[in-house]
Amino acid sequence: MESGIFFTDYRADMALRRKPAQQVRLGLFIALLLIFPFVASPYGLTLANQIGIATIGAIGLNILVGYTGQISLGQGAFMAVGAYTSGILAARLGVPFWLSIPIACLVTAGVGVIFGLPSLRLKGLYLAMATLAAQEIVEWVITHWTSLTGGTEALVVPAPTLLGARVNTDFRFYWIILLAAGFTALFTANLFRSRVGRAFVAIRDQDIAAEVIGVNIFFYKLLAFATSSFFVGLAGALTAHYRSIISWERFTIEVSILYLAMIIIGGLGTINGSFFGAAFMILLPAFINNVGRTLRDVAPLVATLLPAVQQGVFGAVLIFFLIVEPEGLAKLWRNIKDYFYVWPFSY
Amino acid sequence: MVRRWTLLFVVVSLLAVASFGCRPGGQAQGPVKIGAIFDLSGPTSDVGLPYSEGIRGFVEWLNDNGGLNGRQVELVWQDYAYEVPRAEQLYSQFVQEGVVAFMGWGTGDTEALRSRIADDKIPFMSASYSHVLGNPDEAPYNFLVGTSYSDQFFIVLKWILEDWQAKGGSGAPKVAFMHHPSPFGLSPWEQGGKEFAAQNGIEAQAFEMPRGATDFTPELSRIQEFGAQYVVFQTVSSPASLALKNAKSLGMTDVTFICLNWCADEILVELAEGAAEGTIGAMPFTPPTVEAEGLKAPAEFLASKGESLESKGLHYSQGWWTMAVMVEGIRRTLEGGNELTGENVKMSLEELRNFETGGVTAPITFTTEDHRGSKAMRLFIVRDGRWEPLTDFRSVE
Repeated sequence: MESGIFFTDYRADMALRRKPAQQVRLGLFIALLLIFPFVASPYGLTLANQIGIATIGAIGLNILVGYTGQISLGQGAFMAVGAYTSGILAARLGVPFWLSIPIACLVTAGVGVIFGLPSLRLKGLYLAMATLAAQEIVEWVITHWTSLTGGTEALVVPAPTLLGARVNTDFRFYWIILLAAGFTALFTANLFRSRVGRAFVAIRDQDIAAEVIGVNIFFYKLLAFATSSFFVGLAGALTAHYRSIISWERFTIEVSILYLAMIIIGGLGTINGSFFGAAFMILLPAFINNVGRTLRDVAPLVATLLPAVQQGVFGAVLIFFLIVEPEGLAKLWRNIKDYFYVWPFSY
Repeated sequence: MVRRWTLLFVVVSLLAVASFGCRPGGQAQGPVKIGAIFDLSGPTSDVGLPYSEGIRGFVEWLNDNGGLNGRQVELVWQDYAYEVPRAEQLYSQFVQEGVVAFMGWGTGDTEALRSRIADDKIPFMSASYSHVLGNPDEAPYNFLVGTSYSDQFFIVLKWILEDWQAKGGSGAPKVAFMHHPSPFGLSPWEQGGKEFAAQNGIEAQAFEMPRGATDFTPELSRIQEFGAQYVVFQTVSSPASLALKNAKSLGMTDVTFICLNWCADEILVELAEGAAEGTIGAMPFTPPTVEAEGLKAPAEFLASKGESLESKGLHYSQGWWTMAVMVEGIRRTLEGGNELTGENVKMSLEELRNFETGGVTAPITFTTEDHRGSKAMRLFIVRDGRWEPLTDFRSVE
C-alpha cells in the first residue's frame, strides 16, 4: 500500500506519466495501437481512422472549450478551412501532403485568430453566436468562391504519396493518422503543464482574477483560438487526404455540434476524454447499426421500425451517460482507476 | 524524455513504411453479394424508402425466378440516414464482406465514395445523376442509369424553345432556374446548363431556394421581376410543391413550371394540393400511371404481396430497374465465364448496348468513354392529379 508519491529527482517529478501503473498502461495502449492494424479487418480500420481524426479534432476543440472556457460552434468551419487549404494546395499546386497539411494547419490557426477576435468582448452564449457566424461565413465563402474552392462541386484531392507508394488504403493511412494523433495528444498534454496552458486554464476559471495576476487576456484568448484551430485544421486536412474528395456538406453546423457532444460526453478539459468521446460517438451508431442488421434477419417486423428506433436509442444512450457521469467518460475512467487503486481495501 | 518520444515516432514511421507492401483483398463465394445503402430515416427518406423497396423487390423477384445463372443474389444493405461518415463505414464493411458491386443513394455519399470505389474497383450506381459522374475519366466506376441532370436540363430547355415558338412568343424566352442550395441543386446549371441556354438564345438566371425556407414568395417575386415565362426546378418534392403553392397565391398563371426528375413524382402532386396542375416533369423513369412493358414485373410482384405499384410510385420502379441494370452487368460477366470481380463487371457493363428496360427508361448503353446510360427521356404533365405523357422520348441531339 502506497502512502504517497515521492520523487528523489526533478526528472521523475517532471515526467508526463509519473506512476509505474500509468507508464505500463500507456505502454500497453501504444502496443495495442501498433498491433491493431495488423489484426483488424478493413471495417475496423475504417472505424479506427475515423476515430483517430475525430480525436485530433476533439482535442483541438477541447483546448478552446474545455481548457480555456471559450464556447465555439465553429468547429465545422475550421475543419473546412484546413481541409480545403490542404486539398487545394495538393490538387491545384501539387504540393506534397507532408507540406500541405502543416500549411493548412497554420492557415486555419490564422483564420481561428480572426474569428477569435470577438472573444475579447463576448462570453458564453454570445461568443457561441459569434462562432456560429464563423460557421456560416466560411460555408458561404466555400460555396461561393467558385474559382478557388470549386463552389458546391466536390474537390478531388489526390491520394498522398509517401516514398513512391500511394497512401490510399485504410491500412496505410492509419499510420499517418496515428502519428498525427500522437503528436496532438503529446503536444496538448505538455501544453497544459506549461505557462501558456496554465494561463488558458486561469482564463477559464475566472478571467478577471487571471487578468489581475498578470495574464494578458487578449493575447492568451487569441493564442487559445490559434492553437485550437491549428489542430482542428489538422483534423480537417487529414479528412481531405484520407477521403480524397471533399465538399462543403462535410463541414456543416452538425459537425460542430457533434464535436461539442464528443468533448462533453468524453469529458471537458481532458485529453483521454477527447479520445473516449470520439470513439464513443463513432462506435455507438456503428454498434446500433450492426445490432439493427442482425435483428432485421431475426425479426422482420422490427426492420420496418428500426431506422426510427436507431435515432432514438442513440439519443437515449447519450442522455443516460450524461446522467450517470456528467463529467464525462474520462471521469468514469478515473472512477474505475480510483476504485482499483485501493482495491480490495476500499473504505 | 524527448529522445524516447523521438524514438517511438521513428519506430512508428518505420512500421508504416515497412507495411506498405500489404493489401487486403476479398473474393466472393456462394451467393453473389451486392452492397447497398439506403436513406430510410434521413432527410430524403420519403423517396429513399420506395427506391430501396424497388431494389430489394427486384432482388427478391430475381431469386424467386431462378436467380443469376442459378446463383442467388444476396443484397447486403443498411440504412445510413444520409450521413456521409456512416455511408463510408458501411461501404468498407460491405466491401470486406465481399460485395462485387455497390448501390448508393444520394449526391453526398456518391461523391464521397467516388475515389474509394475507383481504388477498390467496385462498380457503383446511385440515384445521383450528376453529369460528371458519367465521365469515366473523372469517375471510372460510377454508372448512371437515369438521364444526367445536365441532359435533363438541356432537353427541357430545347422543349422550352419549341413551346415558346409554338406559342408565338417573340424575343428570347426567359427561364428561371430554381435550385436546391447544394451540389445536387446546382449540378445541371454549373455542368453545362448556363452555357447551353446562352448558346440557344435563352435568357436564363439561377435562383437559390434557401435551405429550410417555409415560403418562396421573395424568390418568386424576383422571378416575376425578371419576367420569366418558364421556371425549372432542380430540387426535391417538398420545396418544389411549396413554391408551386406560393406561385399560385401570387397569381403566376402564365408561367410554366417544370420539374427535373427529383421533384417530378407523385409526392409533388400530393403535397402541392392542386397547385401542381399543368406542371411538367422531366422523367427518366416512366411513372406507373402509364402503360409500359417494364412495369409489369414489378406490378405483378407487388400485387402478389398485396400491394400496388401505383401506391409505391415511380421511385419503386426506379430502384427496381437500376438494380436490374447492375445485375445485367453481373449476369454477362458470369455468362462470359469470367471471374466475378468488380473490374470484370465494369467491363461487362461497358459492353451494354441498347439494353431494353421495357419502356421504363430509354434503352441503356454504356461505353468505355461514356457511363451515362440513357441520353433520352420523356416529358410528362400533371392533369387531374396524374402524370400523363406530354412528349415521346427525346434526347439532346
